[in-house]
Amino acid sequence: MSSFLLQRILQGIVIMAVMSVIVFAGVYAIGNPMEVLIPPEATQDVRLRTIARFGLDKSLVEQYFLFISNLFQGDLGQSYIYNEPVLRLIGNRLPATLELVLTAVLGATFIGVPLGIYAGYKPESATARIIMAVSILGFSVPTFWVGLILILTFAVSLGWLPSGGRGDTVEVFGIDWSIFTLDGWSHLILPATNLALFKLAIMIRLARAGTREVMLSDAVKFARAAGLSEATILSRHVLKLISIPIVTVFGLELASTLAFAVVTETIFSWPGVGKLIIDSIKNLDRPVMVAYLILTAGLFVTINLCVDIGYAVLDPRLRRGRAE
Amino acid sequence: MTALTMPEGEAPILEVKDLATHFFTRAGVVKAVDGVSFSLNRGEIIGLVGESGSGKTVTGFSLIGLVDPPGRIVGGSVKLEGQELVGLDDAGLRKVRGARIAMVFQDPMMTLNPVLTIGQQMHLALAAHERVSKGAARVRSAEALTRVGIPDAASRLDAYPHQFSGGMRQRVAIAIALLHGTRVIIADEPTTALDVSIQAQILSEMRELAREMGTALVWISHDLSTVSTLASRILVMYAGRIVEEGPTAQVLRAPRHPYTAGLLRSLPAMAEPGTDLAQIPGTTPSLLNLPEGCPFRPRCERASELCAKNPPMTRAGERGYRCHHALEEAVSA
Ligand SMILES: Nc1ncnc2c1ncn2[C@@H]1O[C@H](COP(=O)(O)OP(=O)(O)OP(=O)(O)O)[C@@H](O)[C@H]1O
Ligand code: SF4
Ligand SMILES: [Mg+2]
Repeated sequence: MSSFLLQRILQGIVIMAVMSVIVFAGVYAIGNPMEVLIPPEATQDVRLRTIARFGLDKSLVEQYFLFISNLFQGDLGQSYIYNEPVLRLIGNRLPATLELVLTAVLGATFIGVPLGIYAGYKPESATARIIMAVSILGFSVPTFWVGLILILTFAVSLGWLPSGGRGDTVEVFGIDWSIFTLDGWSHLILPATNLALFKLAIMIRLARAGTREVMLSDAVKFARAAGLSEATILSRHVLKLISIPIVTVFGLELASTLAFAVVTETIFSWPGVGKLIIDSIKNLDRPVMVAYLILTAGLFVTINLCVDIGYAVLDPRLRRGRAE
Repeated sequence: MTALTMPEGEAPILEVKDLATHFFTRAGVVKAVDGVSFSLNRGEIIGLVGESGSGKTVTGFSLIGLVDPPGRIVGGSVKLEGQELVGLDDAGLRKVRGARIAMVFQDPMMTLNPVLTIGQQMHLALAAHERVSKGAARVRSAEALTRVGIPDAASRLDAYPHQFSGGMRQRVAIAIALLHGTRVIIADEPTTALDVSIQAQILSEMRELAREMGTALVWISHDLSTVSTLASRILVMYAGRIVEEGPTAQVLRAPRHPYTAGLLRSLPAMAEPGTDLAQIPGTTPSLLNLPEGCPFRPRCERASELCAKNPPMTRAGERGYRCHHALEEAVSA
């Protein structure tokens, strides 16, 4: 088990190293930020001094190693535009994205999986048909459109909920959170619902397909023959048997939503990292782009590692290095 | 009632009458079990024999009320220690299953849950019928595993099914079936999927266990020779019906039904040395929309006009058969 973990961590480090090179070279290739930063009427002297100040007179390789050595000192550079450390910039916005995405993905999972299990357990029932209709809707309706409809209905027409922003926040561990205030929740609920809908649909499908298959298995029949109640069979046997694909998709969805919650954040003016990265691309704010992409890669690697550990916990057959 | 005049020990523990289980499929009605009757005494072992598709497994599941849709028990009666099981509600059936009647399946690789430890699965089976603490469950589970011949049982409780061989997994399944001192076990070809040497081991262990614990067994098999070493009585099943029944020795020595005779001729041990084994020509008929008349007719060398009508069960003493032209009782030498 520990050698498996060590191996996966090493793999993750290699991936991160490769990613940092690709990201650095890629961002370097998309354009020269100096053309945005330096006003066209500036003198050649000002021009050269600015370029030197940002370290852009050095070769790409030199710049890369400078970036890496700074990285290990916890310094991801300064934003060209905001003149602030990138880390602080992202750090101010990441919690907003984090709480939005976690609420959406966890909500979708904890609601979607039981609904899916029910739909798989009683596929012919009216309730199951309604659940499946909801999941088809979740798949086929575009996110931005649902977002607009949610705002129109609950914010504009009914006036029950605010249409954007984060609402009141509370500082916990030196970070501002909306999820710990009632007003924060009233702001969070619409964008989280918007983000969750598609994931809810996936979770329902996965849980339903898994349950239908597992319910026909000999293992479930044997449990029934031993007199187990249906509730015990579903909660102890079925849930664990169907959990591997659910954990996989949970990890994938969590990572990709963290990285790409941009549309929802824009519609609901949610001050997360999505808006920051879009602005930084527009302005060729290299340090922000590089830091964001590398952090995102790190997030994917970490989440994947957690998913792999989850597999080993859930399925004993995947644990290696054990005597048969 | 006869029950009043009968001594306590003589009442059959399981009494099945005219049991019928049909599957209502898109293509039509499959009469997988169609009028099966038999009774089982305490501690008795009976063998249910028939070719693949004859309805043995469906019979077994019908006895414990576990027929999956589109199947349904459409008639008949199953009485366990006098209690009617057909028509009993889910809660009632659940109380009976695993506690008073249990079943062991054909494929031990599939019957246990691969993601739960043996101990967890045994705990769940125990908790289904009584309140047990975790510690007590472990002690009882280890005892049950020891009883079915699993060495070092206490430490094996934390192992997962994939860490056991097929034979060991089947022993675990048997241990689970025996957890509550179950009086009746339906064993659905529990050794078919195993190596021959393991088959023989489990067979004799099970006979021993049944004797020790006074458990009655319905031993399902497509193999007449396996059953003959085990069972005191044999039921021969064909196309959803019992076509012949009787004490094992008598049925083997003098089969009355042409199908039983055919099965016997196809056994290696019964054949004349040097001759080919005589397989019964043809195959089991599809049970979907089975036509009227004796279902064995297309394969039977004794068939006549009369066989277009369904033969009733003829009973003579301990024997019974469904045939218009039954074979003569052999004159014993
Ligand atoms: N779910 C189902 N739907 C339709 N028909 C079914 C279903 N389950 C079983 N049957 C039919 O019932 C008949 C009896 O099947 P069963 O499994 O009891 O046979 P068996 O005697 O146990 O055979 P085997 O030796 O192969 O296990 C078969 O013809 C089968 O096609
Ligand atoms: S009833 Fe007729 S067809 Fe059926 S087994 Fe007897 S002789 Fe053969
Ligand atoms: Mg079978």
